[in-house]
Amino acid sequence: MEFAELAVQKALSIGASEAEAYLQRARTTRVEYSKEIENLKTVESIGMNLRVALGKRTATYSTSILDESEISEAAAKAVKIAKVAPEDPQWKNINKRFGKAPAEGYYDNTLEKLDYQEIVETLISAINRMEGYDKRVKPTRGSLTTSISTVSIANSYDEQSERKQTHIFVVMSTKAEENGMKSTGTEDQETRFWQEIKFEDLAIKAAEKAVKFLKAKSTSGGKLSVVFRNQIFANILGVIMSGPINADWVQKGRSPLSKKLGNRIASENINLVDDGILRGGWRTKPFDDEGHPTQRTPVIKDGVLKNYIYDTYTALKDNVESTGNAQRLYYWMNPQPSPNNLILKSGKASPEEIISGTKRGIYIEDTIGEWLSNPISGNLNATITHGYLIENGELTKPIKGVVVSGNFYHILKDGIEIIGNDLRNSMQNYSPTVKLTQLTIAGKQ
Amino acid sequence: MKEHELEKILDKAVHLGASYADVRHQCYEYEMITVENKALKSYSSRRLSGLGIRVAIKGAVGYASTSNLSQGSIEKTLRTAIKAARSIGGEKKLFGEPRIVKADTKSPIKTDPMDVSPEEKVSLTLDANKAAWTGKEIKSAITRLALSKDSRLFMSSEGAKICVETGLVGLAHESVAKANGFMERVPYSESMCAGFEFIASKDWNSFTSDISKLAIEAANSQTPPPGTYVVVVHPEVFGVVLHEAFGHASEGDLVFTGESVLHQKLGVKLASEIVTIIDEGTVEGGYFCPFDDEGTKKERTVIVENGIMESYLHNRDSAQQFGVESTGNGRAQDFENIPIVRMTNTYLQPGKNKFEELIEDIDFGIYVTEKGWTGGQVSPGMGTFTFGVGPSKVIKNGELAETVRGVVISGSILDTLKTVDAVGNDLNIVTSAFGACGKGGQRASVGFGGPHVRVREMTVGGR
Repeated sequence: MEFAELAVQKALSIGASEAEAYLQRARTTRVEYSKEIENLKTVESIGMNLRVALGKRTATYSTSILDESEISEAAAKAVKIAKVAPEDPQWKNINKRFGKAPAEGYYDNTLEKLDYQEIVETLISAINRMEGYDKRVKPTRGSLTTSISTVSIANSYDEQSERKQTHIFVVMSTKAEENGMKSTGTEDQETRFWQEIKFEDLAIKAAEKAVKFLKAKSTSGGKLSVVFRNQIFANILGVIMSGPINADWVQKGRSPLSKKLGNRIASENINLVDDGILRGGWRTKPFDDEGHPTQRTPVIKDGVLKNYIYDTYTALKDNVESTGNAQRLYYWMNPQPSPNNLILKSGKASPEEIISGTKRGIYIEDTIGEWLSNPISGNLNATITHGYLIENGELTKPIKGVVVSGNFYHILKDGIEIIGNDLRNSMQNYSPTVKLTQLTIAGKQ
Repeated sequence: MKEHELEKILDKAVHLGASYADVRHQCYEYEMITVENKALKSYSSRRLSGLGIRVAIKGAVGYASTSNLSQGSIEKTLRTAIKAARSIGGEKKLFGEPRIVKADTKSPIKTDPMDVSPEEKVSLTLDANKAAWTGKEIKSAITRLALSKDSRLFMSSEGAKICVETGLVGLAHESVAKANGFMERVPYSESMCAGFEFIASKDWNSFTSDISKLAIEAANSQTPPPGTYVVVVHPEVFGVVLHEAFGHASEGDLVFTGESVLHQKLGVKLASEIVTIIDEGTVEGGYFCPFDDEGTKKERTVIVENGIMESYLHNRDSAQQFGVESTGNGRAQDFENIPIVRMTNTYLQPGKNKFEELIEDIDFGIYVTEKGWTGGQVSPGMGTFTFGVGPSKVIKNGELAETVRGVVISGSILDTLKTVDAVGNDLNIVTSAFGACGKGGQRASVGFGGPHVRVREMTVGGR
């Protein structure tokens, strides 16, 4: 018997009325580099999370030690805690619907065969690209992480379900220096397939960015049109929207989108989808972290709020079916609703067209602090570390150190002027380049 | 795990061609109880155990770890680490000189938190949550109790052997209040390197009800008009800003690659004369860190003395690059990670002024208080920072006046440290069982703080 099933059996045999075991095995390789490869490591990890219920009393025990005696102990400890836990009146049951959605592109078998030598050679070539780009540029710290993981889920209602997945994450950073002026340039990419990583491109872009921003300055403030690069807007979308569309937030009264289903909350050109089966998506998978099949869930359709995202617990509370959004950030955590792949659907304009159609504005290349934006009030706030003035349809002066702010919910309603056609992800968040009307830019006084 | 088994692994590593090897074995136990809106949301308990092996071959570092502690698995892990090092190659010099230590040390755990009954822990957390419902404005309240115990054994082929056990416990609470159509959330927590006795000694019901009262007050208040102000900052918030915006920049690895704004700044006057910045392994209220994860004793490192940059922080690798000794700052999140340069307890040394003296000559300014800060972000290459802080107070004519909400402070740390014009005589260093410092994909518990600090110019925004 597999460990996950064994854990479920043990828990049931000592008095649990329901049990669910989530088991994760991962092999992660990480390389850190600057001007040279600094180190290379491989981590083999195992972890199991056992959730038990005794009627409406629940508890969770996790362990990284996998042998029969530890599994017995885990079951005993979980049941012991559940016995003394107060009843959760909202508790109904663990997920009863196992199944696999037709998800594709979440596993790359070339990663199994990829040897250290090839990884090292690929990276050295990228590092040389950065160094060779311009004598003012130096590669700074970067990393490449590849992981192959297997998730197995078993519970008291169904047989074990298993999925195997790969993730690759690369960051390249550079610094440029000239006459006491300093600047940085960073590029990153997150994907499921080794072949999709554009090492050379990222290296050149990171170096090019650092050189261009040597002369970056702050600029005067005001109300301006702002064009966000796709990855940056994807990030902001994730920061602001992931919580409010989460059924858990809605049920607890934390979400500003509570009681708004069926209401128009955005302009007609806005379509927001949570897509668990997006081909090759960062969080694409056939079933979620409770074994429930994933799906494509329209969240905002033509400006109207259509759905929240659910795991089993929140779905049972609202008497609806889970949307397959149960997510465990780490194996030892309980599942909670979280977006699979959150996508702002593309429009038709290319980024070049968007810029050339802007008389005066700011193009945002990179920001920091955007995650401090407030999803409850919708207040968006980010510091632009790399941006450009747009003058008469062209990117002109590089700028830095100005703060962009606005209210995201107002932006959704009437602030998005153009949506681009160049969808790109920052982790599980996807957006094309977008042009917003009239945001506040706080520059130097 | 038996020590002689680890010794055998080290011998084998050397036999296979490693010029240096270390092994770290860890056992970590953790419990988190979450109560949301008066109901137990989850009780989760966790045990993590495993070992990591680091080898160096001609200066190339390979690392591998496993949570499977069978003999076969450990040998496979060693071979993986050796293979990783070989594939890098290179002729980099290896580490700084070692200072071989043998030690066995324990944090002051009086009551092992894992021995306290689950009932007692659940009812304490439930009671604290119930006490937070102080008014109809409270829409949501989340209380979390975290308890952990971390045992680490370090052994190296150079002969070091160090065992450190640390307890870290705390309670975190967040209240969301709504008033006049506006919602405000205030999160705050208190933690200590100790056993359950710390939890048992405090009145958590007044802790959570105070947070609720503040959330209601904040929801009823305005954001400050954006601008540049004289600001007095609470030790905890100044400590976090100092940690993020200055501490990271002083980390030797970032300095070496030129990523840090403090590159080539040793001996340079960077801050006003009343600014002295320390990183110290064991301080009252901070995280317990007597040794780092490379077996180096962590003592008191003076980073800035009277405004002048005195030292960077180093692990053995960066120390070698700078030709100095490690400052004991080689820390790893756990056995699955390689030690990198990390802070321990970073704080500003107290000065002379009482709190009243800091605010008495301010006509109009902001007092940034400790409750409700949500974190921040910095660009260590440029020294710029942005931090979201909680409800704060306006200072008018030398006195504290109304509350303002949603405050964001930002600036350039080097400019900020130059405009520090008064430093309080209080000292408050804290650590956290909830948040940890992140760098290079690794989290590490740290301590931060100092006295109250007055900054002449700081950019304040609202959100």
